[in-house]
Amino acid sequence: MMQIRVEKRIVVSKGFNASIRIFTLLLSLVLVGILFAIYGINPLEAYARIFMNAFGSEFGLSETIVKMLPIGLCATGLAIAYKARVLNIGAEGQLILGAMAATWIALYSNIPSSLVGAVMLLAGFAAGALWAAIPAVLKIKLNVNEVITTLMMNYISLELLDYVLTGPWKGPSQRGFPLTDPFPSYARFPLIGGTRIHYYTLILLLVLAIILYVFMSRTRIGYEIKIVGSNPEAARYAGINVSKNILTVMLISGGLAGIAGVGEVAGVQGRLIENISPGYGYTAIIPAWLGGLNPLAALLASFFISGLMVGSDSVQVSLRLRASFVDVFNGMILLFFIGSEILTRYRILIEARGRKIWI
Amino acid sequence: MSIPKISGIMVLLIAIFFAVGVAIGYVAGGWGKVPGYEYGMPVKKLKAGFIYVGPVEDFGWTAAHDQARKHVEKLFPWLETVYVESVEEAEAARYIERLVREEGADIVFTTSYGFMDPTIDVAQRYPDKLFFHCSGFKRRPNSGTYFVDFYQVYYLNGLMAGALTKTGKVGYVAAHPIPEVIRHINAFALGVKEANPEAKVYVRWLHEWYAPELAREAAQALVSIGVDTLAFTEDSTAIVEFAQQQYEQGKQLYVFSHYSPMQNVGPDVVVSGQLVHWEVIYADILMKVALNVYNNTNLENVDYLWMLKEGAVELGGKPGVPVNPKFIDELKNKYLPGKSISAYDAVMNRLALMKEANVPFDPFTGPIMDQNGNIKIQAGQRATIEQLFTEQMNWFVDNIIGSPSG
Repeated sequence: MMQIRVEKRIVVSKGFNASIRIFTLLLSLVLVGILFAIYGINPLEAYARIFMNAFGSEFGLSETIVKMLPIGLCATGLAIAYKARVLNIGAEGQLILGAMAATWIALYSNIPSSLVGAVMLLAGFAAGALWAAIPAVLKIKLNVNEVITTLMMNYISLELLDYVLTGPWKGPSQRGFPLTDPFPSYARFPLIGGTRIHYYTLILLLVLAIILYVFMSRTRIGYEIKIVGSNPEAARYAGINVSKNILTVMLISGGLAGIAGVGEVAGVQGRLIENISPGYGYTAIIPAWLGGLNPLAALLASFFISGLMVGSDSVQVSLRLRASFVDVFNGMILLFFIGSEILTRYRILIEARGRKIWI
Repeated sequence: MSIPKISGIMVLLIAIFFAVGVAIGYVAGGWGKVPGYEYGMPVKKLKAGFIYVGPVEDFGWTAAHDQARKHVEKLFPWLETVYVESVEEAEAARYIERLVREEGADIVFTTSYGFMDPTIDVAQRYPDKLFFHCSGFKRRPNSGTYFVDFYQVYYLNGLMAGALTKTGKVGYVAAHPIPEVIRHINAFALGVKEANPEAKVYVRWLHEWYAPELAREAAQALVSIGVDTLAFTEDSTAIVEFAQQQYEQGKQLYVFSHYSPMQNVGPDVVVSGQLVHWEVIYADILMKVALNVYNNTNLENVDYLWMLKEGAVELGGKPGVPVNPKFIDELKNKYLPGKSISAYDAVMNRLALMKEANVPFDPFTGPIMDQNGNIKIQAGQRATIEQLFTEQMNWFVDNIIGSPSG
């Protein structure tokens, strides 16, 4: 008879934590390596290429940073919300609303051109925050589960985007295609020469991540957010206004996602398109947790995940594997990485023929 | 003063003859000798990259481009190709730049309308590389455009649909309400009208290019209101499969396959359809690039719009089979109203005319009225390129039920 039991770990050292994560990462690389080998590709060569394409060339590194901007902005905000146990799944929709607000400023407002950049960022933040405020208020007033509402708001935002692109904002010069006209040049964020990095957004991301880190670790509200997250009942007894904290984290995470949307329209695409976000708002959930809900660590995790996505271009382009293999590759590595979370908190006991094996 | 002008033209003509001659020389020289095809090699090797919007086995748009890529790679021993599939618009720029910068591609073909601005942006930053964007209208000295169009073939499909429908209700499942799709629906409806002036064309929009489930549902909904003949713009075989299943349950539907050969999927229901031959265009472009007829200074005005005449499109649901033999008799027995020509002969006749060099027949010849009774194309006149290929194409022919705005 074989028995398997799962028990909570009592003491977890940091070193143990790290070694578990490295172990699971290696395990996933070995498994994906077998897949590479099945396709007749030397796994070590494949990994070398993926790494070089993500971080080892000027082009790869710059593209990793371009991708890190929206993912990092969403992830740092989500980290704060999740810290308060407010499960905002709606960064995707909040990003889209931010992009739409920036588009309105760029194409349809009469704001002086020198102010357009700043106003787009403010409007984007406000739009994302307001979009997130709806589920926040529903949660506070009616106790509606925010996982459902934020997720559903994503679909509403997509329909809204579809409506403006096929209706009132459809660019007159776009031959009927669902695209807006291009932004005027003063509404485009400048790029670092030779790359596609829009550095306004990059600077903003770095500054905001540091501010959020300080906010969470050094301020009274940050402390309250942590208490609300770990024990809402205790927080209430301690006289903490739970509703106010829920609203705060939703506004912050929604606003940051909104800024990510501004960066995509003003920095990358130069216009609003239907496919403005290939799922950045969902992808960002992963680095938020991977970073242990710490804004700076979430930023680092976003850099890693963006590198993984950019590097895996090479799976298709130079290793000549199918695009679906890229999804399998990314999926396996992320699954193992997230799965390792369980192993850091629980241990598994396998008992077979009188022997005990602890994992 | 006219002498230098003439000599200028002469020089140009001689240059063109020379280029064509060299091309023929190279090709003939190379293909004749089996192992020693080095003779056929133009100056240098070429590496061509392809950016696809869908997966290569989508049975439609992307599959057709990928088959063409394989074809030209086999055709030209000096050509190497690389492709990236399932590229989202938002990420196109990165892939295009990766191909020219990291993979050493000399020329990149980008095969979706949404890739237009990224293509132009990257072309601006890499002026030594060549780019060709499919279906757009922006060009640069190092970036041209190309497209094929099916409206002539859709018209022929429409003729057959009008002749075959028993209920007088023809269905059209359409992707996005853009000029291209509207033009095709109109051409199809013009054919239907000519073969059967009483018949109506019912349009349902999907707002997707690839959506097998939605397409199937739309087809089902159309059949439930009495439609027995279906055409569509959607990149899967869903509607053909649906019709074949209906046939196996005892209900005969008539279907026109879209883009890829689908007759084998629905042997009892596919009447005809449209097939594309992108390889004709790719071969032409790549040969001219290899011979330096096209280079990074002269693509500003290179804009292919190829149709039946150039062999870039074909009538049928299977290569070499313009009409499924199963339906030929039915089409031969059905005469166009008020005329002594059968639907089948009319199709073949007009197909031949549209293949001629001067294209003596065009479906968009007036008088053509829209749904509101306005004359869109005057009697005896042909629609202009502007009317057909720009946002002016935002109206439906008067026998269509549905809205051209989606």
